[in-house]
Amino acid sequence: MTRVLVPVEVLEGQTVASGLLSLLGTVDVTVLGYHVLPEQTPPDQARQQFEDRATAALDDLSEEFRSAGGAADHRLVFTHDREQTVHRVADETDADAFAISGMTGDVDRILVSLSGDVARDRIVEFVIELIGDRDIDVTLLLASDTETTADERLATAATRLREVGIDTETTAVVGSPFESLLSTAENHDVIVIGEAAPSLRSLVFGDEAERVAAASVGPVLVVRRETEAETTDSANE
Amino acid sequence: MSSEPTGTNIEGERPDAEAVVETDEATITDDAELERTLGLSGGLAIGIGTMIGAGIFVFPGLAGAEVGTAAAASFGVGGVIAILVALPTSELATAMPKSGGGYYFISRGLGTLAGTIIGLSLWIGLVFATAFYLVGLGFYALDGLALVGITVGPSPGLIVSVIAVIAGIGFTVLNVTGTENAAKLQNGIVALLLSMLLAFLAFGMADAFGIVDAGTPPGEARNVWAVGPIMSVAALVFTSYLGFAQVATVAGEMKSPGRNLPLAMLGSVVIVTVMYVVTIFVATSVFTQDALAAAGETAMVEIGRALLGTPGALVIIIGGLLATMSSANASILSTSRAIYGVSKDALLPGWASRINLKYGTPHVALGMAGGPVIVLAATRQVQLLAEVASFLHLIMYGLMCVALIAIRRDKPEWYDPDFVVPGGPAIPLVGAAASFGLIAFMDPLSIGVGLGVIVATAGWYFYYASDIRLKGAL
Repeated sequence: MTRVLVPVEVLEGQTVASGLLSLLGTVDVTVLGYHVLPEQTPPDQARQQFEDRATAALDDLSEEFRSAGGAADHRLVFTHDREQTVHRVADETDADAFAISGMTGDVDRILVSLSGDVARDRIVEFVIELIGDRDIDVTLLLASDTETTADERLATAATRLREVGIDTETTAVVGSPFESLLSTAENHDVIVIGEAAPSLRSLVFGDEAERVAAASVGPVLVVRRETEAETTDSANE
Repeated sequence: MSSEPTGTNIEGERPDAEAVVETDEATITDDAELERTLGLSGGLAIGIGTMIGAGIFVFPGLAGAEVGTAAAASFGVGGVIAILVALPTSELATAMPKSGGGYYFISRGLGTLAGTIIGLSLWIGLVFATAFYLVGLGFYALDGLALVGITVGPSPGLIVSVIAVIAGIGFTVLNVTGTENAAKLQNGIVALLLSMLLAFLAFGMADAFGIVDAGTPPGEARNVWAVGPIMSVAALVFTSYLGFAQVATVAGEMKSPGRNLPLAMLGSVVIVTVMYVVTIFVATSVFTQDALAAAGETAMVEIGRALLGTPGALVIIIGGLLATMSSANASILSTSRAIYGVSKDALLPGWASRINLKYGTPHVALGMAGGPVIVLAATRQVQLLAEVASFLHLIMYGLMCVALIAIRRDKPEWYDPDFVVPGGPAIPLVGAAASFGLIAFMDPLSIGVGLGVIVATAGWYFYYASDIRLKGAL
């Protein structure tokens, strides 16, 4: 089953947009409630004081996800480093994607970016699982320096999506992946992007994905790369 | 752990005992996880950052004035004792990677009375150490003012106090309100300091051996190679070695604690010991005893000036300011963790570890650290502050060694250290004897103040928390 990790800064009163709640109704959700502490504060000290409040909020949030249709559980982490926590819990729960919350109403159209060195097959399969049999359209975007291979790759992905009955448009752009994503993002409710190679992970996670989310206002789903464990497993088989 | 703490304090509060699972990446409690975010470099930065300020920038003048080049032996003795204690501490820390460090080990190994005394003494010892670093900062700021041509008038001592107090207030306020992550800054400062010092010391060594001649007066220090004076200086400068135990206070936040805690503690002690011995050798080669005595706390500035002229003095002043700031700041952080460790076990009221939601910082504990620091810093009694801090830490070090022997003898089922000190009880026994032994060489006034603290904390135990049982069931 496909699993999406939804990090929520639970004690800061962050919530999940109704559109994202219902969009994730087709997949399993792990709500990751986290609280970032300054280095002066031992995480255990914050746990002692805030655990009950945070757990109550997470129980409510998980319940909202369950009533949207999918299975949902939650984890609560006190940390000095948000990024490390999100990646650790994503690894441990074997999540296929994690969400960056943003505001959206009902989701009609998703923008899927296939630009850059990302696991395109995983992104496409994730989108298929996510949409299920709902009437949600997809725009595939691929920005690159040369147009030669872009069209072919877009066509492969579009064919796969249309096979399962998803209404799909394609857009090939020559130029910066980030800029073209932002200029295309208008008229889309949710953006799906892939996690870049581990060496670029911090760049993408801390910077690009956040910037995409901030600039587009809407939620962003980041499809994770194959974890190291999975790679080793498949090599052993 | 199988043996949960029991009992209540005078206000009816219970120790907060939750069964936890420790992994390399997080501590997992029933309902929550606590991320481990400090790596080896972060641990080394805490250890080295806390220690180097005192040993390099404050003590060379004071120690060299007493015994000349023999002070290198005093620093060597301090380093050996620190390693003898860092080894048992490493074993305990890998078995109990928790906030609170030495307090936690002793309370679980030797019981609530010893635990309360050490927990509260660690708090007060760190307060003395922080005040000592701030006074050092004040002396460096004074030299900095003089270098840029600001005359300080007839009472420079008062200026030192004022600067130390302002810095103390500043660090406390910054720690309460600052939510920016200063850890990376601290790592950067330590890296910068180490590279500055390496360059400086390399040049100083070259001068000392006559490879280059910076025109310094020939080193005709009267060197006192006698056990008594060397040990007495070792007791004074031992404050330069307190930082490794601060690594243990953040043990709960260290990634892969089984590997990183011993490496960070032993690594930081070895690195600073080498730096100290070389520094004191350079200092006593450049200057004679009376010149060092005249220059006092900031003798290193004069040594920098003698070796490299005004730029040399400037480098040392900047280094001294950075180093004493990083020591003071790291100590304030450790103090608030020490208070938390004790308060969690209900040996202090629970409100002592309250966190404010606005900044997410433990403002009460930081205030309990910063308040007394400011008062003590105003006294600018460098020697007394340093020795009392050392006294209280040495008691803790000795008892940690004893706690290791006790826990190994009792073999509680939860005790499963990743790092084991080789050689059976030999190293902890020698470590305990050396720690307690060094106290005998201290100034009687320092010993008196230290004993006063111990008696007061013991009194607190009998008044407040005598019903609490923290030691593992035997």
